[in-house]
Amino acid sequence: MDLFLQQVVNGLSLGGIYALIALGYTMVYGIIELINFAHGDVYTLGTFFSLAILTLLGVTGVVTGPALILVVTVTILGAMILCGLTGVIIERLAYRRLRNAPKLAPLITAIGMSFILENLMQYWKGPSPMSFPKVIPNPTYAAGPISIQAKQIIVIVLAVVLMFALQAFVTRTRLGKAMRATAQDKDAAQLMGININTTIALTFLIGSALAGAAGFVSGVYYESTWFFNGFAAGLKAFTAAVLGGIGNLAGAMLGGFLIGLIEAMTTQFISDQWANVVVFSVLVLVLIFRPSGLLGESLPNKV
Amino acid sequence: MMRAAPLRSLTAKIPPLGKAAIVFAAAMALPFVHYNGAFTNFLVTAGGFVLLALGLNIVVGYAGLLDLGYAAFFAIGSYSFAMLASPHFGAHGIHLPFWVLLFVASGIAAVFGILLGAPTLRLRGDYLAIVTLGFGEIVPQTFLNLSQWTGGPNGIGTLDKPVIAVAGLFAFKFGFDPLPFYFTVLGLIAFAVWLKSNLRESRLGRAWMAIREDELAAAHMGINTTTTKLAAFAMGASFSGLAGCALAANLQLVSPDQFQFNVSIYVLAMLVLGGMGNIPGVIVGSLILSALDRLILPQGTNFLHGIGLNVDLTSSRFLIYGVILVAMMLFRPEGLIPSGQRKAELHAAEIDKNAAAHEQELYTEAVH
Amino acid sequence: MRTSLSRAVGALALAAALTACTNSSSTTTTSSGTTAAGGGAPSGSTVKIGVDLPVSGADASIGIPTQNGAVLAIEEANKAGFAGGKFKLEASLLDDAVQGTHDPAAGAQNVQTFIADSAVLAMIGPFNSNVAKAEIPLTNDAGLVQISPSNTNDGLTVGDDAKKLRTAHPDTNTYFRVCTRDSRQGLALAQVAVKRLGFKKVFVIDDNETYGKGLADVFDASFQKLGGKVLGHEHVTKNQQDFKALLTKVKSLNPDVVFFGGNTSTGAGLVRKQMADAGLGAVTYMGGDGISDDEFETVAGDAANGSYMTVAAPDATKLPAAKTFLDAYKARFKAPVGPYSANAYTAAKIEIAAIEKAIQDAGGKMPTRADVLKIIAATNNFDAPIGKIGFDANGDTTSPVLSLMKVVNGKRVTIDVITLKT
Repeated sequence: MDLFLQQVVNGLSLGGIYALIALGYTMVYGIIELINFAHGDVYTLGTFFSLAILTLLGVTGVVTGPALILVVTVTILGAMILCGLTGVIIERLAYRRLRNAPKLAPLITAIGMSFILENLMQYWKGPSPMSFPKVIPNPTYAAGPISIQAKQIIVIVLAVVLMFALQAFVTRTRLGKAMRATAQDKDAAQLMGININTTIALTFLIGSALAGAAGFVSGVYYESTWFFNGFAAGLKAFTAAVLGGIGNLAGAMLGGFLIGLIEAMTTQFISDQWANVVVFSVLVLVLIFRPSGLLGESLPNKV
Repeated sequence: MMRAAPLRSLTAKIPPLGKAAIVFAAAMALPFVHYNGAFTNFLVTAGGFVLLALGLNIVVGYAGLLDLGYAAFFAIGSYSFAMLASPHFGAHGIHLPFWVLLFVASGIAAVFGILLGAPTLRLRGDYLAIVTLGFGEIVPQTFLNLSQWTGGPNGIGTLDKPVIAVAGLFAFKFGFDPLPFYFTVLGLIAFAVWLKSNLRESRLGRAWMAIREDELAAAHMGINTTTTKLAAFAMGASFSGLAGCALAANLQLVSPDQFQFNVSIYVLAMLVLGGMGNIPGVIVGSLILSALDRLILPQGTNFLHGIGLNVDLTSSRFLIYGVILVAMMLFRPEGLIPSGQRKAELHAAEIDKNAAAHEQELYTEAVH
Repeated sequence: MRTSLSRAVGALALAAALTACTNSSSTTTTSSGTTAAGGGAPSGSTVKIGVDLPVSGADASIGIPTQNGAVLAIEEANKAGFAGGKFKLEASLLDDAVQGTHDPAAGAQNVQTFIADSAVLAMIGPFNSNVAKAEIPLTNDAGLVQISPSNTNDGLTVGDDAKKLRTAHPDTNTYFRVCTRDSRQGLALAQVAVKRLGFKKVFVIDDNETYGKGLADVFDASFQKLGGKVLGHEHVTKNQQDFKALLTKVKSLNPDVVFFGGNTSTGAGLVRKQMADAGLGAVTYMGGDGISDDEFETVAGDAANGSYMTVAAPDATKLPAAKTFLDAYKARFKAPVGPYSANAYTAAKIEIAAIEKAIQDAGGKMPTRADVLKIIAATNNFDAPIGKIGFDANGDTTSPVLSLMKVVNGKRVTIDVITLKT
């Protein structure tokens, strides 16, 4: 039982990272129905930016005291801003023109963009995995028979908090309303006076900024990063978004945690080498039997 | 475009079959221009990928089903060949003749085409893409994991080479020389092109295009979308069975690393570059990308090394593919050699805008 | 279809032009740009040695120094007047890494390039065993001799597996290696674990690749034969980043030691790093030569300290005979040697000597690959910086030496030399 619970902890914290990435994915898909393959790579970029900022600040290990808050704030904000900008630029350069093109075009462009980002990162920091500073003190807490690290708690809590924050933003602010309107019906929204170009750009800004934050968190959590991380993580995060119901923020978070749990449980009870196969099989099964996901509504096939 | 006009009027007089024959004859003569084993070997691989591109073209180009996991079918076709033409299974292994295996492997691949295509039937564009992507990840990993049957990371090696035998008269065994492989591949390509041209004009082909343009409308017109889509997957997958046989027999090894996601995208990029949905476009796109990958980039790297620059271009190959994909989609989505139909589809928005502007003009004129 | 004909013909014309390209300047180069040929080769006769190693991506940190070893030997030969100045010796350097890691299909392609180039009389490489599996059938068919500085998988030279690789000519061996193999490496590691370090329970992890799985399987079997208990044996996935679930499972079984079969580029470093998070920080970590690169210390950080590994080569820095080599390497490349640089240097020297002898035997004319192969197969007591080298009938070295290393204060330190007679 203890082992099971410990794996639940592992699964939830892994899932928390997927959830953070999935939130951005689902936001963008909700608005322009584009699977932004490059999103996973923006997440890796977030880790790279964080590493660069930390190096600039001279951080190589754990930071203690009030300096910790400063370092974390500066780094996370820096990563978010830089990634947000990257997202906006990508949208402007590659996706905007293809908004009305058949689905094939933006999807292929997104894949191309993903390759480009991966290789640029490879040039920047080299092809080998690199170390990321610990940054935060990471005491381990014992909760009965299981042990949980501060890092793991932070990841899980952050995913939940950000989901609610985003939810509030989308439902209560004007901008959020504009985003929902655009997601529902682009042309109608435009007729109502909403500038959809700006709205979409802002969605990318927020989504990519979220990926940047996820990148920082991931760097601290794994204490390492690699240019190719984003591909697998992005794919699983998208699986999570689909599982939860694409376009649905709570669904993205839920899906993330579920995928993390599935991976951990498969590793424990079957073996590590089948974890990916199970996750992707789940993806396939969900899409066959309930394409709208766990929390999504079934949409009729409009003519 | 003006310069092509005289050539066009000249070539317009040659029937399509004649054109194909000319190209085919030129292709057969190609290795002899200045015989070079390495180049011929490159041609064999390039030819195999042309087959793959032609296969994917049926799924993506004709039927409009975005398949991001085509490497899965390539894996199935290749492993089918490897298991049935090597010392792998049992005491002495199974050794079906190559020519029989062309049918068997493409058949097996076709069956899996149906199996893996079935879950996608009710799905729209991007969801379908993601499911195929999922299969593209599941299949090679499964081959890797089931090491008892598939050799695991080592794959299956020492595959049988094709033998052309006429009972009692002679037996020509393919050896190390790539030339016989090249002619085999050319033959397969000729067959594939013939098959596809016929399919395209057939009812099935037209059903595919109808589905591609508007699935709902096609269904209402009486097209059985289920069988049509499954047929697309099956046919597309069967080509990968052919390619799998030829390439595996040449390379003498089948292993999971050959079938990763980047291969699926590599083949897709060939279609995007050359022109989805039309045969010459796909072939040209495939050849350009193969040349880029195996000739131009390594040569370029050697050249740069020669002048003292320690740059490795081959490791930038995915950057280049990425740029190609993005650039083509933004500026010329119909590909280098477009089919008129696709061009119209993809530029529909532009055409609408132009039409609207034109109407505006007429209106302004009329008013004044 | 009308413009397509002109385009198709154009494409073929382009292809024909490329043939000419490929022919004239094949794929030859040297990393320094030009080779100083002793006196030049008036008849334009060039002899090439093909070198296929992973020199880009995550394997580069160990691949490049290995390549440098070979290049150094070739450059020295030219400077000293190769074959009395009658022939020019060149290195044909190719990379078998794709998207960051060694790739068997790329290796096979490279070998086919070598084979098609008639000037290539011998080749060095590959570095990784799964690449060798793809290459050996090809070199066997073509009769091109190949010496690897670092392949350790058993199935490349001994047993049924090896026989199956020699498809075209089962009785001819074209594959040799100057390093020992995994049955010895795995056995040595198991002996160190059980006898020297006193461990009783191990959990084995591998990367599901030819080398990693092969070594792990040998270690697994040997550990059990020596009386130890193997608590579990799992395979990780390519590009996996999160090992916490796996390591939690491992922790629940309470091993004394964790063994990783594989390379840093396939997960060895990350696994070590995450062991601490899972509560396995105090458990010893062991691996083979796959973790004997600087990458391991970089990725695993502090956690790397206390890890044991073997290298299928003697430590060149400890051999007096290697001093000249080390000095020359440092002067030429201005960087420290890698664990396999000396091996590659030795392999190159063996090939160079064999080619020179073959030229002599052929009366100053270009020898055949078969001539070179015969001479190399008969290598016995060859003087090299890593000791005296000879090859047995299977292509294995007759004097297997392993170095046992430990990571101390972020650096690998040789703590013992192991010579097995199995």
